[in-house]
Amino acid sequence: MATPRRNNNQNQNRADPRSKRCEFCTPGSGKGPADPKQTLYIDYKDYGAMKPFIDYFGNIRARYYSGVCLRHQKMLKMAVEKARFMGMLAYRK
Amino acid sequence: MVNYTPTSDEVRLYEIAVLYPYPMNQKEEAELLKGIKAIFDEAGAKEIFKDVWGRRGLAYKIGGFDEGNFIIFYMEMDPSKLKELDEALRILKGMLRHMIVKPPKNYVITSYADGEKKWKETHRLEGERKSQEREDKKLKQVVDKARRTTKAVETKKPDVEAKPMTGEALTQELDKLISDKDLEL
Repeated sequence: MATPRRNNNQNQNRADPRSKRCEFCTPGSGKGPADPKQTLYIDYKDYGAMKPFIDYFGNIRARYYSGVCLRHQKMLKMAVEKARFMGMLAYRK
Repeated sequence: MVNYTPTSDEVRLYEIAVLYPYPMNQKEEAELLKGIKAIFDEAGAKEIFKDVWGRRGLAYKIGGFDEGNFIIFYMEMDPSKLKELDEALRILKGMLRHMIVKPPKNYVITSYADGEKKWKETHRLEGERKSQEREDKKLKQVVDKARRTTKAVETKKPDVEAKPMTGEALTQELDKLISDKDLEL
């Protein structure tokens, strides 16, 4: 008897990565339509803004998991690199 | 919070972050700050805002130091003098790191303390909202469960009590059972 195929999304207990929205384009919820008041600059001194997109080891989370758009991912990368240079963030924990 | 508007077309705003070690002699510190000021004066930079972060832990050791003092200067200056200023800051004695950043247009200058306060407030509100949502969900689950159990009790058929047979009725019933041909005793 053939075993029924298991649904990955159900078993892994996590949101569908494709359904996420860029947090910087839609401040607040991370859902809903794109906001015209989207982030134009990510400050390297603003730890609170960068924190959700950095993992335990100090790496920047991949876009696939965080849902950040390419434009903001590049801004985020620049901000994190600046913060790392100034000793505010670790290169590697 | 400071809203910056350039005074002329020849100048623009620069954000200069400076890091120097934390356990430092007062004399040395004063000398260093004097040196930084002299460099700015030489470049003809005008101070718009100065944000002193103070003592802060570093994410990794820099020059053998675990802690450092941060100062963020917001200066208005001529872009042509930037290279000289950068070079002068690099060779200044006692400096651990420095960085010059061009903030974008319409950048609102906020002090670190204000930003942190705001972030903490939003973080607290977000936490409260999440905990409220969690509690609501739990309450809804309990109410649903209670409703389901009451419905099940209501739909359950009442038990009919069996009355014990006595006398003639019992014998008649027994005879009926015994005389049943389908029953093979």
